[in-house]
Amino acid sequence: MTAADRERTDPAAVVDSGDETADEDAADANTEAAGEDSPSTERRARRAFDTERWVGITGVALALVGVGVVLRQPGTVLVGAAAVGYGLYARLGEAEEATLAVTRELSDRTPEPGDEVTVSVRARNVGEEPCVDLRIVDGVPPGLEAVEGPARVATALRPGAEVTFSYAVRASRGEHEWETMRAVTRTPAGARERVTEIETPTRLTCTPELAAGSELPLRGLTTVSHGRVPTDIGGAGVEFYATREYRRGDPLKRVDWNRRARTGELATLELREERAATVVLLIDAREAAYVATEPDADTAVEASVEAAGAAFTALLTGGDRVGIATIGAHDCWLPPGAGTDHAVRGRETLATDPALAPTPSDEQFYRTLWFRQFRRRLPGDAQVLVFSPLVDDYPTSAARQLNAYGHLVTVLSPDVTATATGANGAGDSATTENDCRGDDRATAGGARTTRARSGTPCRGNPRR
Amino acid sequence: MSRMGGRERADRDGRAETDPPERDTRPPTLAVVVSLAAAAVGTLAVIVAAPLGGAVAGLSIVGLAVGSLAGSDRVLSWAAAASVAGIALAAAFGAGPEPLLVAGVALALAWDVADHGLSVGRQVGREARTRRNVAVHAGTTLLTGALSAGVVYGSFVAASGGQPIAALALLLFGGVVLVSAFR
Repeated sequence: MTAADRERTDPAAVVDSGDETADEDAADANTEAAGEDSPSTERRARRAFDTERWVGITGVALALVGVGVVLRQPGTVLVGAAAVGYGLYARLGEAEEATLAVTRELSDRTPEPGDEVTVSVRARNVGEEPCVDLRIVDGVPPGLEAVEGPARVATALRPGAEVTFSYAVRASRGEHEWETMRAVTRTPAGARERVTEIETPTRLTCTPELAAGSELPLRGLTTVSHGRVPTDIGGAGVEFYATREYRRGDPLKRVDWNRRARTGELATLELREERAATVVLLIDAREAAYVATEPDADTAVEASVEAAGAAFTALLTGGDRVGIATIGAHDCWLPPGAGTDHAVRGRETLATDPALAPTPSDEQFYRTLWFRQFRRRLPGDAQVLVFSPLVDDYPTSAARQLNAYGHLVTVLSPDVTATATGANGAGDSATTENDCRGDDRATAGGARTTRARSGTPCRGNPRR
Repeated sequence: MSRMGGRERADRDGRAETDPPERDTRPPTLAVVVSLAAAAVGTLAVIVAAPLGGAVAGLSIVGLAVGSLAGSDRVLSWAAAASVAGIALAAAFGAGPEPLLVAGVALALAWDVADHGLSVGRQVGREARTRRNVAVHAGTTLLTGALSAGVVYGSFVAASGGQPIAALALLLFGGVVLVSAFR
């Protein structure tokens, strides 16, 4: 991006233009300077440009003098002469780089989601020249919502003086890096303007506690270890499964004594074995999945991550091995595992992985490549839980393919169109219809679909 | 699960209520007030000199108010043009140099502060802290105007022992050439 582009697109670089035209093209000095005073502040000065505020002042001065001469009145001549003074004033000096040392302080670097974090910015003029006209625009991360006060200030700073301003942002899940701060300096008359970009690395990490999930309907693809998923295998368990002929060595307490009394035959009760499953939570984080009811509402990806978090804790508590992956341009893969370490890793992945950033990435998503890689990584006995708003065909077709490869798939679709209050209402018929179509499509391929309202990610009965 | 959902919903409702409005890009109040006050002083000075010129210069107050309100540089420039026309008209009716100099300085300040306020409003907004910036800018412009008018008036009083205006104008032309060559 060129300097001119930046100046055009950024609101901080709006050029004031009068109705006069530029009469001169001033020589631009392009000074690149790095901050040597504060190691945490890095400065880049853009080239100064004319604001064209005072263009025509000399013309006005001459016109007034001319009028005075024609009318033989000293008044206008004097006013014209005074206007020449303004012309001189407009040419005075050059907009210098904003020599600022900036520190940014957060009231809490690791807040909970929804917390208000107060950001205090302190900018000190470390240069030798005063900044007579200084406007500072802080680069608030795009994923954070400013809730209090603008992150901007306009002031004047003597050498050594400092300005402090603060604003509040509402923390949301993820790792947020502050962007470039822009400082605009002008000459006293405002005839020249220069933008200085100031980098002060500041980071806010918001790792939500994973919601405790309730039991999650898993399907019958399991590992050999004991767990919680009922299987179609007779053995040790709690639920009646079948009876079979007594074999020597069967435990006495499993013998069906009623039957023995009735018929005289020995029979053994078989109970349904409960085994652990390997589950991979697959979150749809393609650009298409970043849908929301309102521009500043939580996206479907956010709801999916929340639901996946609940599923992650629930499954891990139930003794299953859980992994995390995303459908998206960024690669994200947490192999299935169990234990406390794994729980922490999972929580961090869900909170801060760039693949699940609050705003979509610009990179291109190649579906075939992604699918091949995911298939290669996926353990053979793994079930897949897909979290996707199902706004287009891809997640359903991927789910169908995975299902066909023998990984039993359950699709959980956060219904982002539901308003908070209308969660039990009729809902938007169009979107519900859309969802149902998604259900049907997925179901047709053998996958199971569960629709979830936002806020209650895992509720609802699974449909077969 | 549903319990969690309930808490979430409450959070979201709370957020909806505290949503901040769009950034207010209107010029800071101080800039508008200073600008209008300066324009009023300037207009008053022109009215004292010549009422008809004052009427034209009075249009600049309207122009500055509308320009600040609508955020339009163009309207501000028209207001500046109106003040220049008002001063020229007042001179045509034979106004003395003193009130015209006062009017010139005041109206220049009015336009300058209004235009400055517009750019500050666009870049920083009305809600941010801008008081110091606007005050410093208004101060330097006023100082420049006062100095310039003072020097001009001083030399006028000292030199005008029957000097023809043409000589003064020639002197001034030299000054303008000098300024143009300044950079």
